Amino acid sequence: MADEVVTPVGTQAPRGRMLVDQRGLSPRAHGGANRPGAVAVLSLLRGAYTFVQRFFPQILLIGTAVAILLVYTTGGLTLMGEQIRNALVLGAIYALVAIGYTMVYGIIELINFAHGDVFTLAGFYALFFTTAFASALGGLATGHGGLGLVVALIIVFALTMTAAGLTGVLIEFVAYRRLRDAPRLAPLITAIGVSFLLEGVMLVKYGPDNIPTQDSGWITGHAFTLGSVVVEWKQVFIVVIAIVLMFSLGAFVRATRLGKAMRATAQDRNAALLCGININRTISATFFIGSALAAAGAIVYSINYNLIQWNLGYRLGIIAFTAAVLGGIGNIVGAGVGGFLIGIIYVFGGQLAGGQWSESLIFAILVIILTFRPVGLFGVDVTTRA
Amino acid sequence: MSLSTRLLPVVGIVGIAALAACGTTTTTTSSSSGGGGLSSCRGAITVATDLPLTGGDSTDGPPVQQAAQLAVEQANSKQTLGGCTLKYVSKDDATVAANGHDPVQGKANLTALSSDSTLVGIVGPFNSGVAVAEIPVASQNHLALISPSNTNPGLTQVGTNPAIDTASLYPGPHTYFRTIATDTNQAQILAYVATTELKATKAYAIDDQQTYGRGLRLLFEKFFVADGGTILDPGANSLPSATHDFSTQVSDAQSKGAQVIFFGGTSGTGCGVLRSQMPATLTELGGDGCQDGKFLTDAGSNGNGAMATSAPDVSKVATSQQFNTDFKARWGADAYANSPYTPYGYDAMNILIQAIKAVLVSNGGQPPADSMTFRDDVVQQLHQTKYSGAVGVTAFDQNGDTTNTGFTLYQVAAGAWSAKEKLVVDTSGKVSVATS
Repeated sequence: MADEVVTPVGTQAPRGRMLVDQRGLSPRAHGGANRPGAVAVLSLLRGAYTFVQRFFPQILLIGTAVAILLVYTTGGLTLMGEQIRNALVLGAIYALVAIGYTMVYGIIELINFAHGDVFTLAGFYALFFTTAFASALGGLATGHGGLGLVVALIIVFALTMTAAGLTGVLIEFVAYRRLRDAPRLAPLITAIGVSFLLEGVMLVKYGPDNIPTQDSGWITGHAFTLGSVVVEWKQVFIVVIAIVLMFSLGAFVRATRLGKAMRATAQDRNAALLCGININRTISATFFIGSALAAAGAIVYSINYNLIQWNLGYRLGIIAFTAAVLGGIGNIVGAGVGGFLIGIIYVFGGQLAGGQWSESLIFAILVIILTFRPVGLFGVDVTTRA
Repeated sequence: MSLSTRLLPVVGIVGIAALAACGTTTTTTSSSSGGGGLSSCRGAITVATDLPLTGGDSTDGPPVQQAAQLAVEQANSKQTLGGCTLKYVSKDDATVAANGHDPVQGKANLTALSSDSTLVGIVGPFNSGVAVAEIPVASQNHLALISPSNTNPGLTQVGTNPAIDTASLYPGPHTYFRTIATDTNQAQILAYVATTELKATKAYAIDDQQTYGRGLRLLFEKFFVADGGTILDPGANSLPSATHDFSTQVSDAQSKGAQVIFFGGTSGTGCGVLRSQMPATLTELGGDGCQDGKFLTDAGSNGNGAMATSAPDVSKVATSQQFNTDFKARWGADAYANSPYTPYGYDAMNILIQAIKAVLVSNGGQPPADSMTFRDDVVQQLHQTKYSGAVGVTAFDQNGDTTNTGFTLYQVAAGAWSAKEKLVVDTSGKVSVATS
């Protein structure tokens, strides 16, 4: 399956024959291949498949653009503007979570299903820190103008991202490290196990209902009005922080020694080992960074929605995973772009088809990508490994 | 997609059952207080409750259970059944997996209860979704099932909820009753509030995909349109109950010129979260699932102005005050603090006990020998009910629905729910403000 996807068009013939056989129209037995109708339908399907496979990015981008234009024509400029704003905010959160999936996949080819729950856990860490130092941090954030707020945010981000990063490292150490050379299914199962474990702990500790957060009132007020679209400061903050963190990460991976070690490990673990790279430390660092970015996502989530809930990361995690796959799993830039694209698809799909279709649409896209273009939009060719 | 499908169901707790039996004392024969010719009656007759007592429903369920238990204890101490005693069993239909009420657990509870031949009736369930699973079991076993809080009309009225095949709920006799008015009444009242009191002509609707929320929303749409209004997104925007982001819908509603956003759901499924993301210029309107403290926490400073209907505020009715005094004495807490349904649970159990008593009297002071006959007779008696209790006068129509159809309209002001007025629906569907 995976090989066929990246095979040139010329070798499509065996595929078609397989289809005929499956439908009981073996050419030898029924002369089915000679039926003009069947041949025409099959070649049409084959043509459509090849077309979608080859022009997937273009089709997706044109589809998205058409959706945005449709909203513009039916609802006007204000609605389009507001929905773009909503999509960017949602997309920023998806992007921050998607990066963790993609980094871990890139380096050890594991879909870390616990990642969504690390996101939720980080939300509770943030809640813990903001509650524990409620008067100090709250006072700093709301009572001392812009500088106080920046200091308070830096403290919360630093504490939460560190705690979540260490959680990620711990999870890798306990649940994945020993299974690094085991069959691929084994770490996947432990990942699901860790996911359950974290959700269970959070459910018992914090109860089933959503919990209001402490930092939601920190960033208030309207930043600017574009046309008649009101943009709030917290929305600007969320998008900016996501973009800044993503670019910093990109620079880190490109320019630093550790980043180079990560890339080397992702490319060929054994060769990296031979070159003297400390594989364990590199992989730990990857988990730390991925989890820390999810923590940043959780903080902006709590600021935006004023709540955190034990099972939040489950749905959000799968949507972010779709974003990572869309961008090309293993590709950091792809995950960022994929996150924002998924945000746009979620919001505009919901606007046009009704909110009940938003999630179905996202998961339909997941199926379509995996079927037609498993490498995603920017992906390297990992299909032979996937 | 939800987690509930991934975790194993956990068996409910039958904790309080043992404690309940303590109310019975020695069998004295000189009873004249309530026995009425039942002094020769011998034996224990079992009644039960099936309510969500743990997890996500642990605010509303327990006080209703306590109220029902109180009714049993009072009947035993007053010897309402003469020489016979009432044995009380409490079942919990909440599971960890479902984060609260769980239809699967409810059905299992009913099946277990049905096998007890001394059992003649059950008060419960709390949630309409659980009722869908339980009613067929009760019907097959001829067991009276009286809900204090099921408001979904599809449980009894054919064709009112597309998600429920009403006829198939009753493989045996119709044994289901409820002391609370249905969502048909509630939706009629909500549509009246939207069109007549808020003067809205355009409404946007959102629901939580649940039996209750989606059902109420569709009914609201029906009556709002019948009253001359327009629904801007008919049937659409049915969102998963864990949704936290309503920004797409709020922008859409504003762009289409909505005056009201109707939310079909509970505060646990987003009623208050939606409010926190709405501009103050839009009014949020919801049903009884929204009218609670969780809504206020979630909506935060944005809560003011939101409106919801809920079970009638009966705290000023004299009989209800007596009930609350007794409740406080027994349980050390205010009956209405956590749930408006508490008196409905009390009345439901008392109605069941009255029906049992009537059967005993007509059977010469003894329980019918055959348990199935006993159960059938209790159901027969329930159809004749005209009971004056904590929530006013309750009688049942041919569907088992109460004829006491009022709801109270609440609005958030200064961060708290305050009762505005009581609204009632007459049999022709006309809504009016109640004077009392």
